[in-house]
Amino acid sequence: MWTKYLLKRAVFLSLTLVLSIYLAVVIANAGGLIDQIIRSQIMYDLRTNLARTPGWAQLTSEEQTKILNERLELAIRAKGLDRPFIERSFIYLYDALTLDLGRALFITSASGTKQVSVIILERLPRTILLFTTGTIGYSLLGLVIGLRMGRRPGGIFDRVTTFFAVVTQAIPPWFFGMLFIVLFAYQLRPLGVTIPFGGMVSVPPPTDPLNYALDVMYHMALPIFTWIFSLFGSWAYITRNLTMQASAEDYVIAAKAKGLSENQITRRYVLRPTLPPIVTSISLSLIASWQGAIITETVFAWPGLGSLFFRAIESLDPPVIVGLTVVYAYLLVVTIFLLDLIYSLLDPRIKVGTRQ
Amino acid sequence: MSMPGGMKGLFKAILSSKSGMVGVTTLVIVVGVSVFAVLYVPFDVVSKWNDPTFWQKNPRFAAPQWTSSVTNRHLPPTLRIQSEEFSKYEYYVELSGLKYVTLEARFIYDYDDFPSELSLLVSASFSEDRPLVITTLTRPDDTQAMLYRNIISNPESYFYISSDSEIRGNVQDFLVNSGINATGTIYPEISLLAVKNENMADPNRASVLKGRYKIRVDMIASKESDTADAEFIVHGQIYGLAGTDNRRRDLFVGLVWGAPVALAFGLSAAVSTSIIQSLLGALSAWYGGIVDEAVQRVTEVYMILPFLPFLVLISIIYEINLWLLVVIIIVLSLFGGVTKTSRSVTFQVMGEQYIEAAISYGASKLRILFVYIMPRLLPYIVANIVLAVPAFVFLEAALSVLGLGDPRVPTWGKIISDAYSGGAVMHGYWWWILMPALLIMITAMSFAFIGYALDKVVNPRLRER
Repeated sequence: MWTKYLLKRAVFLSLTLVLSIYLAVVIANAGGLIDQIIRSQIMYDLRTNLARTPGWAQLTSEEQTKILNERLELAIRAKGLDRPFIERSFIYLYDALTLDLGRALFITSASGTKQVSVIILERLPRTILLFTTGTIGYSLLGLVIGLRMGRRPGGIFDRVTTFFAVVTQAIPPWFFGMLFIVLFAYQLRPLGVTIPFGGMVSVPPPTDPLNYALDVMYHMALPIFTWIFSLFGSWAYITRNLTMQASAEDYVIAAKAKGLSENQITRRYVLRPTLPPIVTSISLSLIASWQGAIITETVFAWPGLGSLFFRAIESLDPPVIVGLTVVYAYLLVVTIFLLDLIYSLLDPRIKVGTRQ
Repeated sequence: MSMPGGMKGLFKAILSSKSGMVGVTTLVIVVGVSVFAVLYVPFDVVSKWNDPTFWQKNPRFAAPQWTSSVTNRHLPPTLRIQSEEFSKYEYYVELSGLKYVTLEARFIYDYDDFPSELSLLVSASFSEDRPLVITTLTRPDDTQAMLYRNIISNPESYFYISSDSEIRGNVQDFLVNSGINATGTIYPEISLLAVKNENMADPNRASVLKGRYKIRVDMIASKESDTADAEFIVHGQIYGLAGTDNRRRDLFVGLVWGAPVALAFGLSAAVSTSIIQSLLGALSAWYGGIVDEAVQRVTEVYMILPFLPFLVLISIIYEINLWLLVVIIIVLSLFGGVTKTSRSVTFQVMGEQYIEAAISYGASKLRILFVYIMPRLLPYIVANIVLAVPAFVFLEAALSVLGLGDPRVPTWGKIISDAYSGGAVMHGYWWWILMPALLIMITAMSFAFIGYALDKVVNPRLRER
């Protein structure tokens, strides 16, 4: 029963993965529309280049068309656009599924290659540095504060934090980022406090590793503060609600009647049943943090995966878009499956019934 | 788990909780502003917003009027000396065949700071030869500055006194003739209205010469019928309730106009996505089997595909207006978190006796879904709508920040992104960025507070004991 359940789950998740990636391929290429855009761009570049070539004007128009068409065909073949899109879409799907991410059309990495995997790997550490650190930060902070709120629901601490949570939950991090840049980076400048308002390192970057690390941390301060500030509230509120539900159980009341200390009750009886949903949420947001954040990175000019995503979209570079989506899809699907596996090990109910 | 008592219970819950009341009150104000915007704004905002000539006579980067009272400084508003306020003398000398027109106006300048710009509009009607125009400013200390002396070629000549290089040269001559070292950049709007001393050319140290000024425009033309009118504008540092931006637009108009746009955008996207998602969730649970499996899988696909990048991609490839954007958002979020919630709530409802009763008397599946199940989901749908509105309002703003919003319609997000890219932060034009930011936050919070009140009804376990 259990293996059958897991097997079924794995099959369905793989199907979902394939379907999502195919959709991503089609959407990233705008159903083949991007082909036409790139085609006309190549045509335009060729024309302007050839028109500048000495002797071009002396050729007859037939000769001009002939050369133009030859070059166009070569350029289109070089970009691999000579076969119909439907056919190529399945080749792309296969490549994506085997994690052969191919070459970008326009974007190059800082090291100078067009390999999508290199471009992604170059930026991944920066995104992890900022967003994964931030996500760990706000999860832990939210967890601690949420547990404290849940102890005395309706108390002053609970009410103030809930208010804070409701407010910050409605406002996205990038918006706070913008406000904080206005408030801190600019307004404190005349007072002699200089907080950088964008970028990851100073220009030019410091040469020795220690100063480089310090410089990066200095640039990270505002974005990471923003990320934690805007997200820990709602996280605390969720934890509080989960702990409150658990605290209402009879065995907690019994433990209280026994005279156990509050810390013991929290650790033994409240935290344990609330942990599974919390672990799920944390692991999903950790995975999501690998994607970076398009707008927050744009606001802070952080050179991570989010701004790569935006640049790829802006310059209509489907291989990079698909590459980013595929990496995320794989991570997400594997995480979901692992979570399923862990819970089915931990929770006997899941082994027996597969539905609710 | 007890179910909330329908829509009536929801409204009661909102109105009886403090956060609900705060939210409703703020929302009523925002809705009031929207109604006001639609009724009051006397012109077609959408077509005028990007028309530079419409705003030409406003000051640039003017702070809201009320900053004057907050900072306790008498900051200059815009002084417009209209053509009717100019006294006009005209005569024709037959002997030389010349027509002389003299326009003169006086104005009192007694503010604590300099104007932001000066401009002069001369509308002349001439038939054959182009006329000569001479403009002079007489200051309270009886010195005279010649601003312009040249042939004009257009019947409508707009002189940007503060930036016109010829006029700047004349002002430099005026300063040099007054014995002042004027080698740096010339700021006519400052030097012309400054107390005559060595700081006259220095924008940071010059002090305002208060008193009565006289602006005079002379025109010498060649035909008796030729004539001229003038309008002189002393652009201030403060304007209206919300100030102006880099394109001299009255931000109050944009901000007020942004309210109905934001509400309509947020509500239409939130209502459609919540209803569709919960309907699909209910369908999935109620029909079960293959339908359930399909809906579940598609929901997972939707959760794997990145929503924002695809939305950005679509808005880059296609030219998109605000309402098409709503449609795309709906299509990109047909399935989602609400599908899962409504599916599990439907499972609970399905176990209840009245559904069994309905099945037993032979009600069709579709009838049970729409008549007996969906009404029970209504509180969840409403709560979801309310909680989703801020997200969509900010989504529009986010797209604007990325430069992808509808460029024609003034929205709060558009104003914020204009301000951000226009250097509002760097130059300290706080009103340009903070006022739309505040409005968008207030609107988002009003929904968040109502949503919080609703959340307690929909999830009764959250109620404090």
